[in-house]
Amino acid sequence: MAGAPHQNPTMGGTGKPAPPTHPLVRRVTIAVTVLFLSVFIVVPVVNVFSQALSKGFDAYASVFYAASPPEGAKLSPAERRKLSSDRSQAEKTWSSIRLTMGIAAVVVPLNIVFGLAAAWSVTKFRFKGRSLLITLIDLPFSVSPVIAGLIFVLLLGRSGVFGPWASNLTWPDPFSLHWRGFAQEWWPFAFTQSFTGIIFTPLAIALASIFVTFPFVARSLIPLMDSQGSDEEVAALSLGASGWRTFRTVTLPNVKWALLYGVILCTARVFGEFGAVSVVSGHTDANDTMPLRIEKLWNEYNNQAAFTVASLLALLAVVTLVVQVLVERKTGKAAMTEVEGVDMP
Amino acid sequence: MSIEIIGVSKTFNRFKALSNVNFKVETGELVSLLGPSGCGKTTLLRVIAGMEAADPGSGPILFDGHDVTCQEVGKRRIGFVFQSYALFKHMSVFENVAFGLRAKPWRQRPREAEIRAKVGELLQLVQLQNFAQRYPSQLSGGQRQRVALARALAVEPSVLLLDEPFGALDATVRRELRRWLRKLHSKIHVTTILVTHDQEEALEVSDRVAVMNEGRIEQFASPETIYDNPANPFVFKFLGSYNLFHGRKPNGSTAVAASPSSANGVTFVRPHDVEIRRENTDGSGIAAKISHIAFAGSSVNVELARIDDQAVVDAALSMHAYKDLGLKPDDKVFIRLRNTRSFDDDYVI
Repeated sequence: MAGAPHQNPTMGGTGKPAPPTHPLVRRVTIAVTVLFLSVFIVVPVVNVFSQALSKGFDAYASVFYAASPPEGAKLSPAERRKLSSDRSQAEKTWSSIRLTMGIAAVVVPLNIVFGLAAAWSVTKFRFKGRSLLITLIDLPFSVSPVIAGLIFVLLLGRSGVFGPWASNLTWPDPFSLHWRGFAQEWWPFAFTQSFTGIIFTPLAIALASIFVTFPFVARSLIPLMDSQGSDEEVAALSLGASGWRTFRTVTLPNVKWALLYGVILCTARVFGEFGAVSVVSGHTDANDTMPLRIEKLWNEYNNQAAFTVASLLALLAVVTLVVQVLVERKTGKAAMTEVEGVDMP
Repeated sequence: MSIEIIGVSKTFNRFKALSNVNFKVETGELVSLLGPSGCGKTTLLRVIAGMEAADPGSGPILFDGHDVTCQEVGKRRIGFVFQSYALFKHMSVFENVAFGLRAKPWRQRPREAEIRAKVGELLQLVQLQNFAQRYPSQLSGGQRQRVALARALAVEPSVLLLDEPFGALDATVRRELRRWLRKLHSKIHVTTILVTHDQEEALEVSDRVAVMNEGRIEQFASPETIYDNPANPFVFKFLGSYNLFHGRKPNGSTAVAASPSSANGVTFVRPHDVEIRRENTDGSGIAAKISHIAFAGSSVNVELARIDDQAVVDAALSMHAYKDLGLKPDDKVFIRLRNTRSFDDDYVI
């Protein structure tokens, strides 16, 4: 980019004119930041991985795959008990990973739709109660996740407001969908399992996760869409484009990086959410997401296994962070070219 | 296509942006809506485009005699150019111009080769044929404005609506583009409405100018008429600098040659219609003292104070006249007024 003729020398990270400060002030502020980050982020993350690997790599792997004994080996009853318990532990861990991914697969797309709709309505239209709506979108940020979980228990639990209806609701498990063939009916798919009730089922976990994470997408879109205004959309409409085409070819490309950024934040939070999910999960093994699984392992004094699952979450966080930095660089660049353009003769 | 607006009003939260506007643009005309910011000119343009709905119950908008009041913006066959250009940032110049063609329902959509030919033709028209693969961020302001124009023209609009098209450009580029627009209009002859707050731009470019103030059209006439025969004090004041004389002088001497009939009337004179003389040969001059002289390139602005009431009068002289007279500050001279315009007091600004 440095060679581009329209490059504005005052733009970009290093070229920005710095306010005149004493070099000591600069050093101290940088040192404080680095120290703070090391104490609160780097050390704990390193600790997670070192604890997880404290008993060696085999122990790390055995949290996910219980090692099978060699073929034909004679096992004592104690060894056999240990093996079957290891297997069931590994199966529970996998179930928690599956559930977490499944919840994310449901919650994130819903939040994308909701976030786009909310950001669109709040930024492209002026109406009464608009600022109230913006405040409401932010509400989950200011409410404790435990309260969020409790809200659903109080609404949908056995004695809740919608309790009688909710506890008799039967809904199919979307992950049990399978191919049945045309033999029985014209509709070839069927569910093999269903749930009754909402609280203490994965549905409640999904609901609580939606509540906790819905501001992320909307929040990352609103400032951008606000600053972009609606001129481009109106221009597209005046050229005869349909509303859907305008959204697809004008609005979406303009916000795609901000949208991806919001999706990353939202996904990270869905993976990591503990409080709200803990309240509505009912603490059954089948309803454990990864954070809940970590807590259970920890309570069973299985520290190494707990840290192993935690390391998996931390890895996801690191991946998220890397993607986030890439996206930020991309959005930063987009914003920069825009500013550059304005400065041009 | 002719555009007729009959009794259109528009209110935003009790603020009356347009009050009962009547207005007719003939086919092929280039008309300017001129006025200070907040006078409703952009609102009027957006109402014509269909981007704002006029107040319910207020009159129809007719395109070629057909009522389009309830028609959507995409169906009105307008080309709209925004002050901010509103180019699609993530599309190349080519794709920007082709957008309207690609957005057509597939039955009417031209084939790819036709689109290429059409876009090439339009880029030729706006003199950007070598910039087709550039992105808007790689263009200068004037180039972006021309892309916006080409994009609007791609759908062969029957009306071209320009909202302060040169507002964000510097003076030289503005002047250049203004001339270019005039030329373009004489080439393609599409009915055009241009919104501007720059009187020079409006007078230079348009066939007719509508001067707007507080949601009303004060005067709608040719540039010459607007300048030489302003309908009211607002129009006079808006079209350049002026000197203002209030009523008759109490001591009986008339303030100016053609003073208004009532005591509260006002008389306007442009600075270049103030003549400065050394001698009061025919006795009609007003005695004044030069208080300040400022050079403004081709002309000289002289600020005078009248001897009788110390009122300030501005005069603009050509360099020649200034040198012939040899004026210096504090010189006592006589001024005579040409082309005065008087308005009675029934008009309140």
